[in-house]
Amino acid sequence: MIILHGLWLNKLKEPKFFIWGESSEENHKSPKHLFQAKQNKLEEILSSILEEFITLGFEKAKTSLLLPTQDKKPIPSSTLLNLNHESSSKKELKEWEIDGLNLDSIHAAMFLISATDSPDLILGEDIKFWQKFSKFGFELLVRQRFFPHLIQKGKAFSAAWKYLIDDADDIRRMNLFSESMPPICRSFKKSDQSKNILSSFLSELTDTLSKKSIAGLEENITGGSIDETWFRSLHSEEDMPVDMKETENLTKTLDQWVSSIYSDEANAFKLCFKLDAPSSNSDIWNLNYLLQATDDPSLMVPLDQVWKEKGKTLKIFNRIFDNPYEKLLIELGKASKLFPIIDRSLRMKMPSRCDLSVQEAYSFLSENSWLLKESGYGVLLPSLNQQSSNIGVKVELKQPKTSVQGNGLGSIVDFGWKVAMGNQELSEEEFMKIASLKTPLVKIRGQWIELKKEEIENTLKLFESFNGRITVRDALRIASGGDGILPLTSLKASSWINELIQGLSKKELLKELTPPSNFNGSLRPYQTKGFSWLYFLRKWGIGACLADDMGLGKTIQFISLLLKNYESSSKKPSLLICPTSIVGNWQKEIDKFSPSLKILVHHGTGRLSGKEFIKKASKYNLVISTYSLIQRDIETLEKVEWDTVCLDEAQNIKNFWTKQSQAARKLKANHKIALTGTPIENRLSELWSIMDFLNPDYLGGFTNFKKNYIAPIELYKDKEKIQKLQKMVHPFILRRLKTDKTIISDLPEKMEIKTYCNLTKEQATLYQAVVNDMIGEIDDSEGIERKGRVLAALTKLKQVCNHPALFLKDKSKIEARSGKLSRLEEMLEEIVEVEDKALIFTQFAEMGKMIKEYLQPKFCQEILFLHGGVPRKKRDEMIQRFQKDKIPQIFVLSLKAGGFGLNLTSANHVFHFDRWWNPAVENQATDRVFRIGQKKNVEVHKFISVGTLEEKIDSLIERKKSLTENIIGTGEAWLTEMNTSELKKIFELRKDAVVE
Amino acid sequence: MSYWYYEPSRPREVKNGLKARSKKGDIGTTWWSKKWIGLLESFNWSNRLERGRRYARKGQVINFRLLNGTIRANVQGSAPRPYEVEISIKPIRKKEWEGVINSISSQCLFVAKLLAGEMPEDIESAFSSAKTSLFPSKNEIRSRCSCPDSANPCKHIAAVHYILAEEFDRNPFMMFELRGMGKDGILTYFKGNVESSTQINETNVDSKGQTEEKLPPLENFIDNFWSPLKPLDGMEFSVKPPIVSAAVIKRLGEPPFWRISNTFIKDMEKRYERIGQMAISVALGSDRLGKTRKK
Repeated sequence: MIILHGLWLNKLKEPKFFIWGESSEENHKSPKHLFQAKQNKLEEILSSILEEFITLGFEKAKTSLLLPTQDKKPIPSSTLLNLNHESSSKKELKEWEIDGLNLDSIHAAMFLISATDSPDLILGEDIKFWQKFSKFGFELLVRQRFFPHLIQKGKAFSAAWKYLIDDADDIRRMNLFSESMPPICRSFKKSDQSKNILSSFLSELTDTLSKKSIAGLEENITGGSIDETWFRSLHSEEDMPVDMKETENLTKTLDQWVSSIYSDEANAFKLCFKLDAPSSNSDIWNLNYLLQATDDPSLMVPLDQVWKEKGKTLKIFNRIFDNPYEKLLIELGKASKLFPIIDRSLRMKMPSRCDLSVQEAYSFLSENSWLLKESGYGVLLPSLNQQSSNIGVKVELKQPKTSVQGNGLGSIVDFGWKVAMGNQELSEEEFMKIASLKTPLVKIRGQWIELKKEEIENTLKLFESFNGRITVRDALRIASGGDGILPLTSLKASSWINELIQGLSKKELLKELTPPSNFNGSLRPYQTKGFSWLYFLRKWGIGACLADDMGLGKTIQFISLLLKNYESSSKKPSLLICPTSIVGNWQKEIDKFSPSLKILVHHGTGRLSGKEFIKKASKYNLVISTYSLIQRDIETLEKVEWDTVCLDEAQNIKNFWTKQSQAARKLKANHKIALTGTPIENRLSELWSIMDFLNPDYLGGFTNFKKNYIAPIELYKDKEKIQKLQKMVHPFILRRLKTDKTIISDLPEKMEIKTYCNLTKEQATLYQAVVNDMIGEIDDSEGIERKGRVLAALTKLKQVCNHPALFLKDKSKIEARSGKLSRLEEMLEEIVEVEDKALIFTQFAEMGKMIKEYLQPKFCQEILFLHGGVPRKKRDEMIQRFQKDKIPQIFVLSLKAGGFGLNLTSANHVFHFDRWWNPAVENQATDRVFRIGQKKNVEVHKFISVGTLEEKIDSLIERKKSLTENIIGTGEAWLTEMNTSELKKIFELRKDAVVE
Repeated sequence: MSYWYYEPSRPREVKNGLKARSKKGDIGTTWWSKKWIGLLESFNWSNRLERGRRYARKGQVINFRLLNGTIRANVQGSAPRPYEVEISIKPIRKKEWEGVINSISSQCLFVAKLLAGEMPEDIESAFSSAKTSLFPSKNEIRSRCSCPDSANPCKHIAAVHYILAEEFDRNPFMMFELRGMGKDGILTYFKGNVESSTQINETNVDSKGQTEEKLPPLENFIDNFWSPLKPLDGMEFSVKPPIVSAAVIKRLGEPPFWRISNTFIKDMEKRYERIGQMAISVALGSDRLGKTRKK
C-alpha cells in the first residue's frame, strides 16, 4: 500500500508538481527516507489507474523535503502504514531525499482531479487539498476569469495569461486555500508562503492551458511591431524578441489597462441600474438610475432625488457620500462605455433614466447588465419567466389506432404536442409568430417573456423528427427534461400508456398485491410494496433495480415475485446470478420461504452445458449461478430464453468493460432485475452499467454519459445534473432506507440475520483433510485425551472455515481464499457507504489481525482492532475514537477482549465472523451495541459456512432452543460428549459447501 | 515635383514600422479619426493622400511622437535615410478655451464622458457654440518634410496624417493637446476638489484582495504536518461557462497600444471561448491534450 503525496515546487526554475509516496514496505536505500515508495512502483500503480495521456507527462525526479523526524527516522503520515512505534524522543524537521515524479501544471491538475483512492493507493490529505485547488483553477478558467498580460523572467519577457480573482467569493476561497494549506506542501527546502505557492501553480495552469487551447490561431499575425509580437506570443511559450525599453513600456500600459477592472469599493454608495418592463400598453422599457448603498443593497434612492441635493456631501440613510455630483457623472461616463445606449439620456442636465426599445432591453438583459454587474454596478432586472408564465410544451401520448409495435419501454405510441405558456396553450399561429421573431423578448397575452431561441429551435427540430410517433422510452426521457429543449409542463397519456406512466412515475401509489399463497412467511408492508412494484414492471418487461438498504429483505421480495410468476403463468426458468460466497445463503432462504420452487445450482466441474443444460434447466423454476461462471458459460446461458434474470449484488457488474459485465448484458429474458444494497445513485458508472443491463439504451452510450453526468456530478456536484439524472432513473430504482420513518416502524429494534457463506475450493480441501485425520484419532482415544482431541478438531475446522491462512499459519496472501471474508467485505461496503458503523467479533486474535490488514487498504481507513494484548490506555483511546469520530467505522474485536463491559453504541451492525456455540456469550457481545444509547435499529449478522460443522451445530442449537441453556452451559464442552458417529455427522463436509 | 522622381522608386522596407491596421477601405474607426481623415480629404490633396495611405499601410512610418503641440515623425522613403516630418496645429487661445469649457459643462454627457476618459462624439458642438473649432482648418495645419519633393503635403506627410488618424482612435485627447490643452488641463476644470477619485487606480494586479499572510515557521506544525490547517469540506466548484463570454475583455475594452486590427474584442472573444471550452473538457477529464508528448 502506498500513501500518495504531492506539492508544487514553485521555487524551481521551471516549477513542477512533485508526486511521491510513502510505502508500507521498507525501501532499503539508506540514507534515504526508509519508507518512500520506489519510483517504478509509483509509476506502475499510477499508470494502472490513470489514462495514458496523463502518465505521458511523468518525469522521474528527486527532491529534498523537510519531514517530521524522530529517532533518525521519518515519522509516517498515517497510522494506516502500521509503522508507528511509541517513542518519546524529540521530534524535529529533517531534510530527506525523496524519489518521485514530476508533472507540469496541466498534467498535474488532470492527474489530481482523476486520482481516487484504490486498494493499493491512498490519497494523502495534501493530494486531496491540491485536488480541490485544481478544481478551483479549472473553474476560474471555465468562467473565463483571466486576462492577457506580460511576464518578465530574468531578462526575457513573454506574453502571458493571468488569472483574475476579483469577486468576493473567489477572494474568499483563495484566502481559505492559502490559510488551509497542509504544512507538508511547504516542505520543499526553499519553503515559501502558501499564498505564493498557490499563486504560482494557478499562474502556470492558467497560462499553459490558455496557450495550449489557442495555439495555431496566431498564424496570420506576422508583423514585428510590439503589439503584434505580444499578441503572437500569447499563443505560444516562446519569449518575446523585443527590446527592454519597449517591453517595459508595454508592461506599464498593460498594468494601467487592467487596473480599471478592480472596482473601487470604498464608496458608501454605488450606481444601480433598474430595468422595468413596459406598462400594459407600451413597448418602451425603462432603465432607471438609482443610488444604492454598498453595504445594504436594499437601500436605494432614485437619481432625480440626488440631483436636487446641493452641497459637497450627501447624507442619506445615515451614510455619507462625498462629491456626489461628480462621482455620479464619472460612474455614468464609465457605464456608458459598457452600455452606450445610455448616452442619449446624458444629454439632460439631471439624467435619471433611459427609455429602451425592446431590442435594447434585450441586449441589456442578455449581456450589458452582466458587464455592468461585474464592473461593480448594481443591477436590478425584472422577473420575467416566472413559473406561471413559463413557456413549455404539453405532450400527449395516445394509443395508436393500428396495433402497438414494440413492448415495454420500446412501445411506439402516438405523440402530440402543443406549446403552452404556464397552463395556457398557444395556437400554432401564435407559436410560429414567436419563433420567427428576431428579438427573443416578446409579449404574449400581456406578459413579457424572454425566450431562448435555441431551445425553441431544438424543440421544433426534435419533436418534428418524431413524426407523430414516439417510444415510451423517449417520452420518459423528455419528461425528465431533455438537453436544451423547452421544459415539459404536462404529460397526458391515455389508456394503458397512462397506467404505465403513472406506475413508473408514482410508484408509491401502485396497487398492492396480496403475497403469493405458497409463500412460507410474511412480508412486512414495505416488502409487499416492493414486490408489487417488481410485478408491475414485469408486466411491461421493464428492468427494475431493487436497491433497499441491507437488511430490509431484498431476497424475500424477489422470492415472492418468483412465486407469483410461477403461480400465474410462467413456464420458463429464471436465472439468478450471485457472488459465489452466497449461493448457499440463497438456497437456504428459498428452502425456508418457498420450498415449492424447484432450484438448480449451476456450478462445479460436472455442470452441464449446451443442449443438455437447456433441457435440464427447463425442468426447474430457478437456476442459481455465479458471476465467475457467467463469463465462462455465457455461450450456454445466453441460449436459454429466461423468464427472469436477476443479478444479486449487482454492483459486481459495475465495470461495464469487464467480461463478466459484458456477459450479463447478453442474457435474454422477459424481465431483468438487479438487487443491490449500495446506494448506486452515488456511483454513477455502476448506475450506468446496471441500468444498461436492465434497460439497454435508456441512458445512452457510456462515453456521453460520462461526459454529461459522471464528471459534472462526481467532480463538481452539479446540482442540475443530479436532479435530472435522478428524475431519469427514478422510475426504475426502488430504494428504501432503514432510516425512513415509514420503514423504521415496520422493523424490530434488533434483527438477527444468519448469513450463509460458501467455502472456497481450497477451504473445502483443507476441511476434508482435517476431518479425515481427526476422526480416526478421536476414535482411538478416550477420556480427557478424547475431549482434547475433539476440541482441537473443532478449532481447526473453525479456522479452516474462517480462512486457510489462519489454519496454515503461513502468512500467505489473504485475498480471495475465504468465502466468509469476501462476504464480509461486500457487506461492509454497503455499511461504510451509508456511514454506519460495525463491530466484528472473532474468537481468533490472528483472524482479527488478518481482517484488519485486509480491510484497511480496501476501505482506505484505519480499522481498529482490540485484542488481549492492547494496553488499557490504548483500549480506552480506541473506544473513544470509535464512539466520537466519523471514521473509523469498523472495529474488530476478539471475543475475549471485547465481548463484555464495553460501550460501543455508535455501531449498529454486529458481525459474528465465527461462532461460539453458546448463545449467551454471543448475546453478551452483541449487547456492546444493543444497549442504552443506541439510536438506530441493530442488525446482527451471524456468519455460518454452509455444509460444515458450523451449519450443523447451528441447526442443532436451533432445534433444541428451549433446551439449550441447560445442555450447553457456558462453554463448548458439551460437544465433546457426543459419540463418534454423531461427531462424524457433524464434522462431515456436505457437497454443497463449495460452489466453484 | 518631377515625374521621374517617384515613379521608379520603391520605398525601402521597414521592419517594425507603424502599420496602419486597416488593410483596405477607410483608415480609422472612431468618429473623430474618421472626421480627421474626412477633413484631410476635404483639403483636396487627393492623389498624394492616396500614396500616403499606401505608405501608412506598408509601415513606412518608423516612429512618431507628440511634444509641445508638435508631431515629429520619421518616415522611410526610397532614400537610405528616413525623412523627418513635422506637423503642428495652431493652438486655440486660452480665452476661447474658457468659452469651450463653459459650453462643455452645460451637458452632462460631455462631462461624464470626459471624466471617464472618453471623447464625446459631438464635442465639436461645444466648440462651435464658443465660436471656435476643435478640428483645424487647412491653413491652421503646418507641416514640413525633409524629402526632396516640393509638394506639401508630400506622401510622407500624408502617411503621418493617417497614422495620426489612428492615434486619435486610441487617444482622443490628442486633438485637445494639439490644440493647446492637455488632458489633465481640461479635467481639472471639472474635478473640483476631489482629485483622488478620478485618478487611475494603480493597484498591483496580483495582490489585490488577498490577505497578507504571515505563517509561523514550519516547525510549529510538526504534529499537524499532513492535514489541512482549516477544513475545506464545504467548498464547491462549478464548471459552467459564463453567460457573457470574454466579459473581462469587454469590460476592459481595447488596450491603448493596439494597432493590429479593429476587431480586438472579437478576436479575444474567440480565444476566450476556446480556452473556456478546453478548460471544461480538461476539467471533466475528457480531454486528452493530443499534442502533449513526453519531453
